[in-house]
Amino acid sequence: MKKTFSIGGVHPADKKISAGCRIEVLPTPQTVYISMSQHLGAPATPVVAVGDKVKAGQVIGEPAGFISAYVHSSVSGTVKSIGPRPDLAGNKVTHIEIAVEGDEWADGIDLSETLVTEIPADNRFIIDRIKSNGVVGLGGATFPTHVKLTPLEGKKAEILILNGAECEPYLTSDYRIMLEKPDQIVIGAAIMKQVLGGSRTVIGIEDNKPEAIESVRTAISRLQAKSASYSGIEVAVLKKKYPQGGEKQLIDAVAHRQVKSMGLPIDVGAVVQNVATSLAVYDAVMKNRPLTTNTLTVTGDCLPADRQKNYLFRIGVPFSFIIEQDGGIPEGAVKVISGGPMMGKAISNLDATTVKGSSSVLYLTAEQTVRKPESNCIRCAKCVEACPMGLEPFLLNKLARNGMMDELEQNAIQDCIECGCCLYSCPANIPLLDVIRVAKGDVMRAIRARSAKK
Amino acid sequence: MTTTIIWTIAILTLLGVVLAVVLYLVAKKFKVEEDSRIDDVEKVLPGANCGGCGNAGCRAFAKSCVDAMNLDSNFCPVGGNETMKKVAAVLGLEVKEKAPMVAVVRCNGTCENRPKVNDYGGYSSCRVKASLYSGDTGCAFGCLGCGDCVAACQFGAIKMNPQTGLPEVDQEKCTACGACVKACPKNVIELRNKGPRGMRVFVSCVNRDKGAAARKACSAACIGCGKCAKVCPHGAITVENNLAYIDFTKCKLCKKCVAECPTGAIHAVNFPAVKPKPATAAAPASSAGPVSAHPAAGAKEAAVKEKPETKEE
Repeated sequence: MKKTFSIGGVHPADKKISAGCRIEVLPTPQTVYISMSQHLGAPATPVVAVGDKVKAGQVIGEPAGFISAYVHSSVSGTVKSIGPRPDLAGNKVTHIEIAVEGDEWADGIDLSETLVTEIPADNRFIIDRIKSNGVVGLGGATFPTHVKLTPLEGKKAEILILNGAECEPYLTSDYRIMLEKPDQIVIGAAIMKQVLGGSRTVIGIEDNKPEAIESVRTAISRLQAKSASYSGIEVAVLKKKYPQGGEKQLIDAVAHRQVKSMGLPIDVGAVVQNVATSLAVYDAVMKNRPLTTNTLTVTGDCLPADRQKNYLFRIGVPFSFIIEQDGGIPEGAVKVISGGPMMGKAISNLDATTVKGSSSVLYLTAEQTVRKPESNCIRCAKCVEACPMGLEPFLLNKLARNGMMDELEQNAIQDCIECGCCLYSCPANIPLLDVIRVAKGDVMRAIRARSAKK
Repeated sequence: MTTTIIWTIAILTLLGVVLAVVLYLVAKKFKVEEDSRIDDVEKVLPGANCGGCGNAGCRAFAKSCVDAMNLDSNFCPVGGNETMKKVAAVLGLEVKEKAPMVAVVRCNGTCENRPKVNDYGGYSSCRVKASLYSGDTGCAFGCLGCGDCVAACQFGAIKMNPQTGLPEVDQEKCTACGACVKACPKNVIELRNKGPRGMRVFVSCVNRDKGAAARKACSAACIGCGKCAKVCPHGAITVENNLAYIDFTKCKLCKKCVAECPTGAIHAVNFPAVKPKPATAAAPASSAGPVSAHPAAGAKEAAVKEKPETKEE
């Protein structure tokens, strides 16, 4: 029997329309806008001035705290302005505007495609490379990778899990890199495994991607034949179920370990990284190449087949440029989403730029997005069945609407991963996630305020 | 048969007497002393339990008044001065009269002034909308228009105007309890001095963007030009973060700022219509209200206010 997580989950149609499209390199626009807030934690501080000449791969933002990351220029050119600019949700974030001139890279960056398989022995060197090259988690949360790889006092990572589940419908960027760059992903995994000092590494891939499973398996055996440092890496085939790519769900599916409420994966000896992060780690450590590019899917039911794309884009390219390159917004699309249809965010401002974690431009039709009128809760408990965290969304909804903060906390609203399974499964179309997300924010703030007082 | 009935009655009577004694003794021993004045004060309160005073309901307010034995820090916004006089009479205290307050919606981003740049299709709640993005217009500061304030008002004093998409406060019904102020995620609503006969002047905008950006998003936005601050003879206006604010404790209602504002962001409401002097009949439009440079702003102005000045003058 194939593995999957034990509680909850839903089965949306996977719609991997763009799966067969090879990764294409997106042209570079005239101007890019690089956000200083591309990672979880404190926004980076700009370290260039207006008028400066920058090269691709040059540091333009330095971390402004422990949980923060370096930001690099993805192009070469001149800094035109530094200032607030609306992000995809319209909120003002500091961006650095760079007018593109040529394509000159900073020194010390290996741009060749030759595969480097010799992993450096010095772990500190590896962590430094990951940090200085601005690698963050590309599975969605964009948590700085070097922080996750620095072991906490008294905690030991026994198992490294690579998330190749790509459980969100439509998205195919992880699938494409697993097909096209499997060796790099496996080497990245081996690097992280060495840093963590664990004995086991499992790459979890859902069973709707047999080619990816085959491709990664071949890469593993190829590398294992070469060097002993690749032992202990294996592929786990997972039964397709959303949200398998959730950190806690993936640990449950692969290692059958459950992270307790408010706990971290390291509490059960696990560290989870995305396959795209693994690729970024390979580039950072072996090639000294900063995280300045990523892969993004352009897809949607209403998009003609020849315009379905997987693009390798330079970070900081405006969404409007990508859409333009692909031939404009297709007929029938009423909503443009960045990220998957379950957890992605609607783009209210198409002039916003891509960030490290951007994974898609997804067009949705009116039929797919317009909400049906809400009716009364009939206590069918479909949301309870669907919740992968074992919560009771219908109850949380009631408590949240009445502002019962203590009861919300007792019912573990803070464990909600905002996957949207409850909303997806509700036959009464109750906006469960919308209400719960806001209430969760309030409860989290209250918890933080309380712990700050102590 | 008769004996059974007699015995039953006797035993029950005895049981009743014994338990009554027990209850009496227990009640005596564990008696909670509560000031009877709390009950007296509670009787004169409005009983809305709205929490506008900062206490958890009217009884908690009464207790707080009795405990403190002064009314300086206790004020019932719903009952206002009259109720406070009654409370003072019950407790034999002095009370200072407070100027009546009213909730003021500081946004004039009507559909014409502030065109939509995208459509919001999610759950209709300002808090949810604010948590998702900056809103469906170019202005990231103004009213989101989902009516959280309307839902929060216990007195039916706020209603959404479907024409403007903005909430309107009925100043007769508003008790200044502040529930709408707390409910608004954008801090658009403020409690302000009601003013003599309801006359008040305020900046109807909370946009802190730079002038050009603010103006691009909304034609009635405060652009932080500072003309009002310069013209104000009472030093009541401050401009901070590209936004003017009128301190209602200093404002003397001269309306000079209203005439000066280039975007019509400063509103004067409930002023009596100015009688046109024959000599200056052409000019006085500027002093009549927030309408000056913008006929469009003026037209919607008439729709927004409770007692609009007549535009014919």
